[in-house]
Amino acid sequence: MSRNSLLLSMFRSLWLCPLLAASGVSSGQESPQETDKAFFHRQVEPLLKKHCFACHSHNAGQMESGLALDWRSGWETGGSRGPAILPGNPGASLLIRAVEHSDADMKMPDEKLSADEIQTLKDWVQRGAFDDRQVRPEATDPMDWWSLRPLIAPPIPGLPPAGSPNSHDANPIDAFIEAKLQASGLARSAWASPEERIRRVYFDLVGIPPTLDQTRAFLQSPTESAYGQMVDKLLDSPGYGQRWARHWLDTVHFADSHGYEHDVGRDHAWPYRDYVIQAFNTDVPWDRFIRQQLAVDVFEPDATDLIPALGFLGAGTFDLSTYSTGPVTFDYLDRDDMLNQTMAAFVSTTANCARCHAHKFDPIPQEDYYALQAVFAGVLKGNIRYDSDAAYAAQRRAILALKQAALDRDAKVLASPYARLRIEPVAKSQAMAATWKNLDLQSFVSLQGATLTEGIDQAYLASGTSPDTDTYVLSAQVPLQRVTAIRLDVLPDESLPMHGPGRCQNGNLHLSEVSVHVFHPDQPAGKSVQIVRSSADFNQAGWGIERAIDGDPKTAWGIHPEVAKAHHAVFVFQEPIALADGSTLTVTLKQLHGGSHLIGAFRISVTDADSGQAIALPQAIERILSLAESDRTDDEKLSLAAYFGNLAADAELAKLPVQATVYAIGTSVSIPSGNGNHQPGSIATPKKVHLLDRGDISKPRSEISPGSLSALGHMPSRFDDRSDLSESARRAALADWIAHPENVLTWRSVVNRTWHYHFGQGLCDTPSDFGRMGGEPSHPELIDWLAVWFRDRAQGSLKQLHRLIVTSQVYQQSAQERPEASQLDATNRLLWRQNRLRLDADAFRDYVLAISGRLDTGHGGPAVQHFTQQPGPQSTPKLDYSAYDWSAANSNRRSIYRYVWRGIPDPLMASLDFPDLGLLAPSRTFSASPLQSLALLNNPFVLVHSQATAERLARESPNLDIQIETLLQLAYQRMPEAPELEQMKLYVGKHGLAALCRIVFNSNEFLFIP
Amino acid sequence: MDSLSNRRKLLLQSGGGFATLALASMLQEQAHSKSMGAAQASNRIEHHVPKVKRIVQLFMTGGASPMDLFDYKPELERLDGQMLGPKEKPEGFTAPAGALMKSPYKFAQHGQSGRWVSELFPEQAKLVDQMAFLMAMTTKTNVHGPGTYMMNSGFLLPGFPCMGAWISYALGNLTDNLPTFVVLPDARGLPYNQQACFSSGFLPTVHEGVVLQANAKVPIPDLVAEAKYPFALSQADLDGQGLLRMLNEQHRFKHPGDTRFEARISGYELAAKMQLSAPEAFDLAQETAQTQSDYGLGQPSTDDFGKRCLLARRLVERGVRFVQVWSGPQGATNNWDNHGNIQTELPPMAQSVDRPIAALLKDLKARGLDSDTLVIWTTEFGRTPFAQGSLGRDHNGGSFVTWLWGAGVKPGVAYGKSDDWGYQAVENKTWCYDLHATVLHLLGIDHLRLSVRQNGIDRRLTDVHGHVIDPILA
Repeated sequence: MSRNSLLLSMFRSLWLCPLLAASGVSSGQESPQETDKAFFHRQVEPLLKKHCFACHSHNAGQMESGLALDWRSGWETGGSRGPAILPGNPGASLLIRAVEHSDADMKMPDEKLSADEIQTLKDWVQRGAFDDRQVRPEATDPMDWWSLRPLIAPPIPGLPPAGSPNSHDANPIDAFIEAKLQASGLARSAWASPEERIRRVYFDLVGIPPTLDQTRAFLQSPTESAYGQMVDKLLDSPGYGQRWARHWLDTVHFADSHGYEHDVGRDHAWPYRDYVIQAFNTDVPWDRFIRQQLAVDVFEPDATDLIPALGFLGAGTFDLSTYSTGPVTFDYLDRDDMLNQTMAAFVSTTANCARCHAHKFDPIPQEDYYALQAVFAGVLKGNIRYDSDAAYAAQRRAILALKQAALDRDAKVLASPYARLRIEPVAKSQAMAATWKNLDLQSFVSLQGATLTEGIDQAYLASGTSPDTDTYVLSAQVPLQRVTAIRLDVLPDESLPMHGPGRCQNGNLHLSEVSVHVFHPDQPAGKSVQIVRSSADFNQAGWGIERAIDGDPKTAWGIHPEVAKAHHAVFVFQEPIALADGSTLTVTLKQLHGGSHLIGAFRISVTDADSGQAIALPQAIERILSLAESDRTDDEKLSLAAYFGNLAADAELAKLPVQATVYAIGTSVSIPSGNGNHQPGSIATPKKVHLLDRGDISKPRSEISPGSLSALGHMPSRFDDRSDLSESARRAALADWIAHPENVLTWRSVVNRTWHYHFGQGLCDTPSDFGRMGGEPSHPELIDWLAVWFRDRAQGSLKQLHRLIVTSQVYQQSAQERPEASQLDATNRLLWRQNRLRLDADAFRDYVLAISGRLDTGHGGPAVQHFTQQPGPQSTPKLDYSAYDWSAANSNRRSIYRYVWRGIPDPLMASLDFPDLGLLAPSRTFSASPLQSLALLNNPFVLVHSQATAERLARESPNLDIQIETLLQLAYQRMPEAPELEQMKLYVGKHGLAALCRIVFNSNEFLFIP
Repeated sequence: MDSLSNRRKLLLQSGGGFATLALASMLQEQAHSKSMGAAQASNRIEHHVPKVKRIVQLFMTGGASPMDLFDYKPELERLDGQMLGPKEKPEGFTAPAGALMKSPYKFAQHGQSGRWVSELFPEQAKLVDQMAFLMAMTTKTNVHGPGTYMMNSGFLLPGFPCMGAWISYALGNLTDNLPTFVVLPDARGLPYNQQACFSSGFLPTVHEGVVLQANAKVPIPDLVAEAKYPFALSQADLDGQGLLRMLNEQHRFKHPGDTRFEARISGYELAAKMQLSAPEAFDLAQETAQTQSDYGLGQPSTDDFGKRCLLARRLVERGVRFVQVWSGPQGATNNWDNHGNIQTELPPMAQSVDRPIAALLKDLKARGLDSDTLVIWTTEFGRTPFAQGSLGRDHNGGSFVTWLWGAGVKPGVAYGKSDDWGYQAVENKTWCYDLHATVLHLLGIDHLRLSVRQNGIDRRLTDVHGHVIDPILA
């Protein structure tokens, strides 16, 4: 056997052994002479253990339907369906029927046993079901697990031995780590060098390298207090939030597109990203951070600038296709995404494992899972509007209250000083109705060939062919110097179906879009006139006149059922237009709905009245206004107040700044659906959530009310004891449940997650799973101590937690391998050294930008697209990352500002393990591959910035030695060694400085943080 | 946890063939990477002797219509025009079910096996005796996105590794010169879910599908620097890689014991090999005029798919383990999602693949590659026996057809049956889990034992399901 194949076979056996051991395969080929006892224990019991115990044993803490299969009495008594086994009669034994999947509602387990296994069980029952397990097994307490035990700070182990450095100022973290190391016969490593420590702490806290001055200053005097000051400065710098927000965005699988078939971009996802950065930078206490993301609208209703926090629940994927065609499936899956994310991110729990059956390993019954579904049963993901300036929000609320009062005809509110102050001027100006001048059209054309003829009083009538859709183009010289609005009258006529005014069989019409152009005699090109407001004397339900100016050809104005009557609509211009002599006004009436919903007879007129007066009053209001004030009844007066109150409110609303948009969750949202389109979505009251048998939507069982995990006792686990079960109250209740000081999972979760990023590995190495399938923590007592300290002493301040960790000696020790320690603890779970981390994708990009001198550390704003876009075959565009121009504006922003398209990853970032954000990414993987090497060697980003770095170095010094020294200080935080310098000079001499920069950016010393 | 198993975990995470290199260093062997050939680095997991080493998967985007291609349904002729479908629109149908609609195409029996094939696939019809048909494939959804995920990763959701990624993870590469898992999308665009169909999910990104644009000048992204960066080309590149090796060796010497350094150093050596080999692999001009014409190159209807089938053969021949060739982009046209009119939308799609597929199978056989190559023809779901509008067919996860060909496959058999309308699978229902389990089985892998712990669950390609379909195995 050659050495290579020897190695290979060793490797293979290493790989296979644990798997074989775990699989517990039984041969199923025993001799018939075997005694019943041996047969039971060697063949039957292992099968029961393997396939049944997870749901039917004391040890698992679960006996579904009351059935236990781990002792004889268990199956003799049976569960809710009676005895599970009738000895000697396999055909009538429920257990056999269940494993054979004979009955549709009792197929167990989900994955059917093999035919051999089933035969073994049948043989056993046939032979009399020998079972000598007479003693009731001890039930395992499912709460007896590190993450679920009461959270109490353990005592800090004895201080380090006197005389050791810093014993006067011992950090409790060091005490906990030291105690375990000593117990294992290990010792902490020496301090990392000052060069290593500055490199490490910059990477860790801000994700960008120190400048030359920062490096020099620290290296001149690398004292503990200088280090402490450096840490404080970094935590206070905006770069801290820009770095740590990325970790949180990974954790909650935030990205800028939907994922799935219609992987549509979310151009308004970014305000959530900015919120997270801001929250980290302002050190929002952790419990408040939780409450803001789940229900800031409830907890801080006045702080509308924080609404983007709700982007948390919108962070995940959205299956637009299933939303449209499989709505029930969609509801359950989308809520699954939200609850899974919430529970993983905040309490490190895999609640989604209880979707089809009780969690196999953790105390989470199926009801809990659906209770969590019910929390989110009233929201949809999509764009929502908010006032980024809270002062305007207050004004908006007041105006909306006025509008509501107008709609409700609330006499009291409409008579309030606030209302009257706004209503009266509007009513006054309306009383002076505008005068309208009819247009005598010079040309009037139906684009679909209908005949338009002029009648009396500048009225026009359509006849002849009645096309499906049509567009009228109407032009006239205007008898005014200045025009503020146009008016369209649609008129009944005996020649029209139902006497019109439309050409449709029912007399209706649909006006899809109105546009106006002015043609000056000396300018060949017409100018488009912006219409800001429209009104009509009557609007068909769902077909309001605003739809004729919304730019959407699919929506339109209609007048059904008020047919056979005249109606009119007024369109107000944004600015009055001045008309020189000879100017022509062109009005285009698009009628694109189909079904001959066309205008049958019409007139166009114009006015120069103040735009406030240009309005189409409803017929009823016009009638009341025609009465003398003294002749109006109270009810008529209220009608006027309500009508003008509504107008006043609209006018006031129009004066407020445009609201900002964030992709988040809401009861009424606008869902990006591709190519710039959106579709509305809303849920009036929370939907009913049912427990689904085996997670199957065709098998709904009882309705479940909102709640959370029942195993934790710090608060009632069902929220239906609360009087308010409105949508937002549900989210708020869950936020309270999570952020509760006595929630044992929340505080353990956040300290461990934070530790994970500082050390590359959590004390529990599965940061989003603290269940029995997760990792067992190396130092559970340190997690507990930190959790209590963080909650009580630090008051939920992450910055204090970071400071405590990065100033510990454990953190500052060397990452260098020590064979003698490695032999005892190869994976460094006990932290006898620091772990070496590789620059993650984001940091790699930011480091290269920083070293090139191009990095823009600016804060916030829309996501930067490092690709060009072309329309795709359907709603997802085609992206080309290679065509991006790296000198474009914002190309040099930090990676956190990158537009992350879920289904079309950036090849450079992907090669460095930027995660697939289809799923939660609580930690990143490590890859090394030829494709990564190719990307780092040849990707235009690296090459452009190799050049930029070379230019920067050349700018700063003409001397090659100094250029190389500077490069290495920037990239490695150290000076070159003599032979190294010679080699590099030789290379630069041949191929230039940019070539060297490229190689340095590819080197392991650059990519790994010591 | 013992140190060796932890170390092993890390090695596996670092992926590719480097794990063996890393192992060597772990055992304090001074094995130089050059002595570790590619063949030794592969086959890391072998539960039993594999019959298949490489795979070409042909994926028909949109839901290829079974009852118009392979699943002959005379009953539809009898019931044509009758409103017998579901009264309420099932989840994922895009419209309420219309009347039953017979296939507008003639079916005939072919070969010794007597398999029914419609007139749309005349070339594949000649090869049915070499294929094994899964006639009762079924899936959990009637929606493209989840359906395409499911057929690729076994899950309806994004974020899970696809079959190619699992295979790369389990078996590593056959050659250092080319990527392990290559995806050749339709020139007109990506399938539903974009590249997320080829994702490595929670496995290291080294296992994700490398998407190659068959028409692109540079087949592999960033294979060489663009011409405007001379400092990254030719001698500058060569000398640069030398300098890089020196820097990295020096660094490794100062910081021993970190297997990741080794893995990255190998990455550059393998990248250099790939730079040398890849252009040759993509050069279709090396094929004879006859071969090019067999695959339909130069004919507008077959040129794109034919090129990619030919490329697939060249790639598997040179050691790429898994090549996925897609027919049709996402969207309303140019794919197998024939909602509007089966008579006008399906024939051009069928024509575009039929000849190239037949040429690929014959070519693989002629070159003896069929001894260890598997070809899979599939789609994400079937179509309704009910008309949509009056001439189209809607999505139907109830039943669809897949065929397998090549090493380890029993030729000329069919497994499973759909009902008389082709609406639902009724006999020997086959899920993606079973297909995936079977493919892994052919590769020497027990699907139950290939798992990775992720967020509290031991994840498998086959979730908690999957049975190897023995009746179609040789």
